[in-house]
Amino acid sequence: MAGIANKGSALVSTLMTQAKPRFATFMKYAVVELTPPTPADLPAIKNGIVKLVSGARTGAWKNLTVCEAWLNTLVTMEVCFWFYVGECIGKRHLVGYKV
Amino acid sequence: MAIELGAPVRVSPLIRFGRWSFLGLGVLYGAYHQSRLSKREVGIRAIEAEKKAIRDAKAAEEKKRALEEEARAIADLSSPTKK
Repeated sequence: MAGIANKGSALVSTLMTQAKPRFATFMKYAVVELTPPTPADLPAIKNGIVKLVSGARTGAWKNLTVCEAWLNTLVTMEVCFWFYVGECIGKRHLVGYKV
Repeated sequence: MAIELGAPVRVSPLIRFGRWSFLGLGVLYGAYHQSRLSKREVGIRAIEAEKKAIRDAKAAEEKKRALEEEARAIADLSSPTKK
């Protein structure tokens, strides 16, 4: 029993020492890529929406290359999928609702 | 770790705003729909409990009747032949 407890604590300590540099790398990317938008970004967000709407209206989307259009589709799909991730979190069950 | 990870990408604020807002909306919608469905389920469970009681009573009655008929049939078979 004491042997198992010792091995468990050694495992946890190795996990912690291994995780710290990896967590630091994660934070390095997360600070740039994953941060929620601040109020300072509001004008940029509004410009982005305006550009999207005007591009859709004027027909500039027909002049995109297929590669660009495909990338835009993938990014849009990914943004929409976050809604379903949020729904799974809200209903607190992975597949379907548990009543 | 010999994998070379590139520089972090500056994601456009519109995309970040979209991701976080969709996540938040999803959480709210999930919680709201879950509460709505669980409230509906309370009523359904009550109705099902009633139906189950009726079904159980009917099944018990059928079983009793079947047992009596079987006992009667066995008694008929084992009684001396009425020729």
